[in-house]
Amino acid sequence: MKKTFAVLLALLMCVGVLAGCGTPAASGSGSGTGATTPTGDGVQLNVVTSYGQEDGNRANFVEAVEEWKTETGNDILENSSTSDEAWKAQVLNDFEAGADPDVLFFFTGADADPLVNGDKVVSIEEIRAEYSTYADNMIQDMMPAATDGELYAIPTIGYWEGLFYNKTVLDAAEVEAPTADTTWEEFLEMCDKIKAAGYTPIAIGADVPHYWFEFLILNAGGIANHLNLPTADNAARESWIEGLDGFRELYSRGYFPDNYLTSTNEEAKALVADGDAAFIGEGSWTVGWFATNADVNEIGVTYAPGTEASAASEIITGVSMGYYITRKAWDDPAKREAAVSFVQHMTSNEVVGKMTATASASNILATPSDAATSFEDLLHETAYSMVNGATGKVAAVQDIAAGPARDTLFTSDIPQIATGNMTSEEAVDNWIAAFGA
Amino acid sequence: MKKGQSSMIHKKKGPLMLFLVPAFVFLAVYLFYPFVLNVINSFQNIVGLGQAASGLNAPWYLNYQLLATDPIIHTSLKNTLLMMLCTIVFQVGIALVLSLLVDSIKIGGQFFRTVYFFPIVISATALGLMFNLIFLYNGGLVNSLFEGMGLGVVDWKDQSHWFFTMASPVMWQYVGFYFVIIVTGLNNISPDIYEAATIDGASAWQVVFRIKLPLLHNTLTTCLVLAITGALKVFDLPWTMFPNGVPLDSSWLTGTYMYKQTMGGAQNIDYGSTISIMIVVLGVVVSQIANAVFKEKDY
Repeated sequence: MKKTFAVLLALLMCVGVLAGCGTPAASGSGSGTGATTPTGDGVQLNVVTSYGQEDGNRANFVEAVEEWKTETGNDILENSSTSDEAWKAQVLNDFEAGADPDVLFFFTGADADPLVNGDKVVSIEEIRAEYSTYADNMIQDMMPAATDGELYAIPTIGYWEGLFYNKTVLDAAEVEAPTADTTWEEFLEMCDKIKAAGYTPIAIGADVPHYWFEFLILNAGGIANHLNLPTADNAARESWIEGLDGFRELYSRGYFPDNYLTSTNEEAKALVADGDAAFIGEGSWTVGWFATNADVNEIGVTYAPGTEASAASEIITGVSMGYYITRKAWDDPAKREAAVSFVQHMTSNEVVGKMTATASASNILATPSDAATSFEDLLHETAYSMVNGATGKVAAVQDIAAGPARDTLFTSDIPQIATGNMTSEEAVDNWIAAFGA
Repeated sequence: MKKGQSSMIHKKKGPLMLFLVPAFVFLAVYLFYPFVLNVINSFQNIVGLGQAASGLNAPWYLNYQLLATDPIIHTSLKNTLLMMLCTIVFQVGIALVLSLLVDSIKIGGQFFRTVYFFPIVISATALGLMFNLIFLYNGGLVNSLFEGMGLGVVDWKDQSHWFFTMASPVMWQYVGFYFVIIVTGLNNISPDIYEAATIDGASAWQVVFRIKLPLLHNTLTTCLVLAITGALKVFDLPWTMFPNGVPLDSSWLTGTYMYKQTMGGAQNIDYGSTISIMIVVLGVVVSQIANAVFKEKDY
């Protein structure tokens, strides 16, 4: 009896140990619409997106998801997070660990190479073989191709990067907001005045130099050269060095927050929203954040200052993210239908139209929605004017560099360059040696 | 006990093995096997978590060469050793003092046991986020108090202050853990010894230094080994407060740098494996030294 009991206990322990094994759920930081047990014959999709709490289109995303759930009786287990470098790495790690989601809203450039090369996501061509109208509401030329030239993701909106400013701070410093004609030297004079007035000219976190990196590289190299990665002897190497030198100049002039080296992008946004700083380089996804966290008549958007190589009105813009259907969902007949339905709903004219308006983004719909073209508040009016007044458009060069290449430069080297611990030449040459072609 | 029963107990190893084998299998699968794989991976070239190796590194010892020359490894080792020292002095030290105090009181002992243990229950990541807000440069709790007192703001994460800002919550969180272990050790001391000491006229200080501390020797040795190995692999709270070694790569610890290389964006899996082996070797060496210095004694 005692032996039998001992054996049973041991077996129970083994079962308990093994019970924790199994495929882990895909991760994000945990913004979710709440997973519930599907009712009836509904399917539950595992969805990972970048529409975290900080995204300006979060509310539109949640509303669209709830609509789809109500219409179809399906459910989603959502994990959304801010699309920073850590999130990108975590998404790729989840795929490697076998925790593939069913639908993924992710980047479409070099970041997606592991997914494309590993056949983790399904091409649009393959989907269209069965669902012929898939993504036919988009301007086809604007659909972002992966590095293999194929289409895998349906975008929702294009992105743009620009200079957000706090008008109250500028007024207090007796400075006008930069315009399409503002030169680099004029911008430096503005920053000097803002600093003298007791404000921080440029809010920036050490973790997100991404936008100033693009502005400065574009200013140094111009549009024609912008999408070339540096090699040992090409013009891109020179423009990267010059651009990074510009970053050090901004830091050495004292335009950054006092705690720049330890600050985060979230703190930087708060500085501008709270009227402690004048400018922040950010993108279309932040329009919604400022609309929620600041006075929409106090925050405006304008062009980053230009140079001879690149006018201020030449902007960084493009389409860099979209909805993927994963191979895992595609190969599951029950989930395939639901995944296609979900993506088609989330990229429908109605949903995309709302998101485009919220972010004042460029239209990517073949039949533009009835989104507003004039606005009553400073934030949306200036954002719309900035994007639609651009005289040149080019995508972000960082999107064609792989994650590890960006990670070293952005999180480690750029703060060292700013403080003079590393020269721009060293950083770029190290980059070329480690990641260059 | 009946005559012959003790020898029969020692002969009945079957039920013993039934309980030991599952745990051993679990350890073998989830600890020993991954460790062996890590050793193999450290000689190969792997660029994605879960991806197959694309052959050996050239040369095969490349990662170990990098380990010896990487300035960030030197920084992380220095910081980790400092953290280890702080852990020994502050975590175990403060825990010892608190346990001796709590052991001396008759009322409220259970209350203090609960209160001191409470921080361990809180997720380290949540604590990191909380202390981020406490030490926030603009509008954080401490700086708001400082401004109110006219002292001006301090960047608690700059190169002069980051270690204090990182170590404080780490120390605070785990004092309770060692406190509970030491209190248990104190409770195991027979009251007869205290009675005999009282009869012999020993003062309170003499009871502490001549009875409690010597009899706590083995418990304290265990605490020291745990503290040392814990400091080597501490990750969650430091990473939450000081991601990517801010400021300027000065706050790396062995645990956070290993995470960065493996999962944090660098995607250098084989180098991450090498760092993890270094952490294990360091842990074994340091804990063996601690065991040798503070030999277990039988009283």
